[in-house]
Amino acid sequence: MKKIILGFIFIGTLSLHAQNIVRYDLFVRDTIVNFSGEEKRAIAVNGQIPMPTLTFTEGDIAEIYIHNELEEETSLHWHGLFLPNKEDGVPYLTQMPIPPHTVHKYTFPIIQHGTHWYHSHFGLQEQIGMYGSMILNKRPDDKTFRKGIDDLPTIPIVLSEWTDIKPENVHRMLHNASDWFAIKKGTTQSYAEAIKTGHFKTKLRNEWKRMLAMDVSDVYYDKFLINGKSENEDTSLKGLKAGDKVRLRISNGGASSYFWLTYAGGMITVVANDGNDVEPVEVDRMLIAVSETYDVVVTIPADNTAFEFLVTPEDRTKSASIYLGDGIKQLTSPLPKLKYFEGMEMMNGMMKMNGDLDEMGMNMSMQQMDMNVVMYPEITGPADNGKDKKREMDTEEHSDHKMEQMDGMDGMKMDGAMYKSNELSDITTLNYAMLKSPTVTTLPDDAPVKELHFTLTGNMNRYVWSLDNKVISESDKILIKKGEIVRITMFNNSMMRHPMHLHGHDFRLLNGQGQYAPLKNVVDIMPMETDVIEFEANVEGDWFFHCHILYHMMSGMGRVFSYENQEPNPLIPNPALALRKLKGEDRDFHWMAENDFATNGNDGQLMAQSTRWSFGTEWRLGYNDMHGYETETHIGRYIDKMQWLMPFVGFDWRYRKLGHDEVEENLFGQKNTKDRRSVFSAGVNYTLPMLIMAQAEIYTDGNVRLQFERNDIPITQRLRMGLMWNTDKEYMGGLRYIATRNLGITTHYDSDMGIGFGAMLNY
Amino acid sequence: MKSMFNILIVLSVVLSSTSGYAQIKNTKTETVKIFGNCEMCQTAIENAGNIKNTAGVNWNKDTQMAELTYDFKKTNRDEILKRIALSGYDNDEYLAPDNAYAQLAECCQYERLKKELVMAIAQPKSKMEMPESKTEMEVPSSENHMDMAMPESKLQMDMPSNENRTDMAISNMVEPNPLNAVFDNYFATKDALVKSNPAAASAKSTELLTALKALKIESLKAEEQTAVTKIMPSLMDTSKSISETKDIVKQREKFKVLSINMHEIIGFYNSKETLYYQYCPMQDANWLSKDKAIKNPYYGSQMLSCGSNVETIDNKN
Repeated sequence: MKKIILGFIFIGTLSLHAQNIVRYDLFVRDTIVNFSGEEKRAIAVNGQIPMPTLTFTEGDIAEIYIHNELEEETSLHWHGLFLPNKEDGVPYLTQMPIPPHTVHKYTFPIIQHGTHWYHSHFGLQEQIGMYGSMILNKRPDDKTFRKGIDDLPTIPIVLSEWTDIKPENVHRMLHNASDWFAIKKGTTQSYAEAIKTGHFKTKLRNEWKRMLAMDVSDVYYDKFLINGKSENEDTSLKGLKAGDKVRLRISNGGASSYFWLTYAGGMITVVANDGNDVEPVEVDRMLIAVSETYDVVVTIPADNTAFEFLVTPEDRTKSASIYLGDGIKQLTSPLPKLKYFEGMEMMNGMMKMNGDLDEMGMNMSMQQMDMNVVMYPEITGPADNGKDKKREMDTEEHSDHKMEQMDGMDGMKMDGAMYKSNELSDITTLNYAMLKSPTVTTLPDDAPVKELHFTLTGNMNRYVWSLDNKVISESDKILIKKGEIVRITMFNNSMMRHPMHLHGHDFRLLNGQGQYAPLKNVVDIMPMETDVIEFEANVEGDWFFHCHILYHMMSGMGRVFSYENQEPNPLIPNPALALRKLKGEDRDFHWMAENDFATNGNDGQLMAQSTRWSFGTEWRLGYNDMHGYETETHIGRYIDKMQWLMPFVGFDWRYRKLGHDEVEENLFGQKNTKDRRSVFSAGVNYTLPMLIMAQAEIYTDGNVRLQFERNDIPITQRLRMGLMWNTDKEYMGGLRYIATRNLGITTHYDSDMGIGFGAMLNY
Repeated sequence: MKSMFNILIVLSVVLSSTSGYAQIKNTKTETVKIFGNCEMCQTAIENAGNIKNTAGVNWNKDTQMAELTYDFKKTNRDEILKRIALSGYDNDEYLAPDNAYAQLAECCQYERLKKELVMAIAQPKSKMEMPESKTEMEVPSSENHMDMAMPESKLQMDMPSNENRTDMAISNMVEPNPLNAVFDNYFATKDALVKSNPAAASAKSTELLTALKALKIESLKAEEQTAVTKIMPSLMDTSKSISETKDIVKQREKFKVLSINMHEIIGFYNSKETLYYQYCPMQDANWLSKDKAIKNPYYGSQMLSCGSNVETIDNKN
């Protein structure tokens, strides 16, 4: 009898503690979408983009079945979640990718709460629809339950962007420094525009410092989306009245876009970040970095009016809106266009001649000092057109101060105050220093500390992004021990901002809030900033740490933290193969081809480039033997940090039938025949100031050639000029008008072939 | 070479002629209201709305109606109206951002009827349901003070007399709560009785009666409604009696009843000052006063300081 009673008690306690299993079935399928007026391929899950919102309560057990009905592999990552390593969804690291037409089950206990999201971690699938909200609710009896916040009506919001260009192609174009995106955005920053606005010197100095036109984001997008739509009327909450408060759980599922958030109905109250509660803080606007999540509370100020919650990408090319409330729609002002030349001037000031950024003794961190404010008309006044004095609202003092500083550009001492957005205007912008955890977040004092330092490095021209100038495939996994505290100091020496994301752990962002440092899993680091994060190593496995800008990650900007002596991962049956595949991701070659079909012959080139290597062939093909045929092939490797120096070996072949064997003499008195030549060569490319490519080459027949070439000088938005001269007394000058992404109209004069007109096709 | 030029010329002629004849296809036409004043507005509205070969706007300044013609395969009514609103003009679908309106030329600063309408609907409702949202409610009407910068700059800071209003809080809101008038006139009547001035008492009591009649019960909170409805007949009756006589004794008799009834609803009156419920033992009667010192309305100068405080009412918040 006793036993039975005991048994009952046992069963009773079991059922008390039995956890709620929440199951989702996700069917991943190819689909055709039309966001921009053109039908394009995308990936939908359960027939929708974004993927369905997954909702759990802390304490649940998640069971998520992925039905991969694509013709390609996939893998889903649960962003910001604490879970066993094998459920983390990083292909070749925590699992092998899910093969087509199979089902994979992810299961993990939900041991936290907050706003998170999930997305494909396979290839570039995240760009074409594979992102969705993941809402982990607090239990009602949670000690941290906040009345007036956690009981408000909520709307899950996923921000994203859409491009009609296939993401693989976007990636390739970025690596080829295509300026198509800049043309679409109107941010070419050509010489004509520079002269018109009185920034000619700025532009010259910019090119002198070997920089391409600067921008705040890399890719041109056709649409920006809130929950899959550009114009969104909230239908989930009916009958909102004046005074009602709404909590928006916002995840930035964009592949490469940061978004400004502004609201027509007044201030925005930030109540959580990256799924962790923060002390409520009121701001006028905020920038959400790629892959971050923020919970904000907004108030509906009046009845019968819907208030616009405006989401603007950092480059401010377009926007997306959601209207909160019922009735006529009250708009908020769009963010004014960026002042790119002011930004260029600022970049010139920061950039040293060797390509490093100059810290100038400023201790920049936590997004407080934003160099980009020089580009924000709403903070620093409208664009100044050379002679016109800036008309500034209430920042007279600062602007005068700034003008002085800017006038004496080189060797000037920059003053940090001129970049502190919140001091320059009455617009309050959220920054990391304002985030404070409501609870103490300190880590155990007695645990050993492992210190790591990373410099975020990059090269815009070749689109190489790395840590300490090494991409994933060039670096080893970083070993850490369970129980130790890992403290990471990061300095951003690149010209772009990077949202660095750690898998499987929250880290403390040391932001001056002491014991109440906020917990995050993404830290956005602006150029020249230094930030420190620390986390307790408490879950075994191989955890990815990477820049969450999709194209930066795929270029190799990341590292793997690996726990020492961990159990083998059952989902990685062949670790050596998996590692090779993982490293293969940033080893891809990016192809580029172009040919100018001109009246005087064909001019073209074919290139394949990777992080370090470059294979290139150039040709000049006449239409008959008299004009001749000529090719030059170079195989080179970039060896310096800035990727300005590339030694190469090459092969030249030339055939021409002129009848008389003409012999040419070069500047050094060396002779060669133009008619028939077939030689190997060795040489070196070096990028000179003004982006002039200097090439020194020695051939197997003893000849030496020195060549200077500058292509793609931006004359106007779409007009490019190219110039070339070499010691063989050859020269060339050409103009190209970029008509479409793949077509240019050209004219050039060439010392060999004379004047020609043509059409250039490029890939 | 010559032939190429010829081809170019032909091509350009063909191209230019086609573009000259190109028109909006798949047309749909709608008529909508767009607010504006003058010819300048017309140009601005039409320029904001027009997109070559996609959308055309034809606005009439007299009727303030616009005819939208657009290619429904390329755009829609909302896109056009949003562009127009962003250039400063309220319309059927969208209200312009405040600073876009503020930047309009002076002659274009049309009266923002639409918004006023929204506020008129919004005010009484929000008053009873969410009184604490007062500051936010101000937002839509504040555009006139927002002649600078961004709308997201702290709106509240720009509002006149904001602080006073915050102090008043609960029931007396944007416009004086009807209950204010009732209490103000009650106190005025009391003061007249303290001074033994029956004419003034009668006059003030008439005003009290007017205020009671003007009181919109439905604009009060639910609990207030119940309480006020219950005592309303008595309040009307007593104030009417006081107003109709010049006999101060009769007035004082009625004032006893009036004071008891007013005390019933004192909890809903949100005064900036502390109030006192006072008692005259000689008359076994009470009255309400803003003054802690006793000034007896039942005897006037004869026994002015007779009486005591029986309750201190502190509704300040």
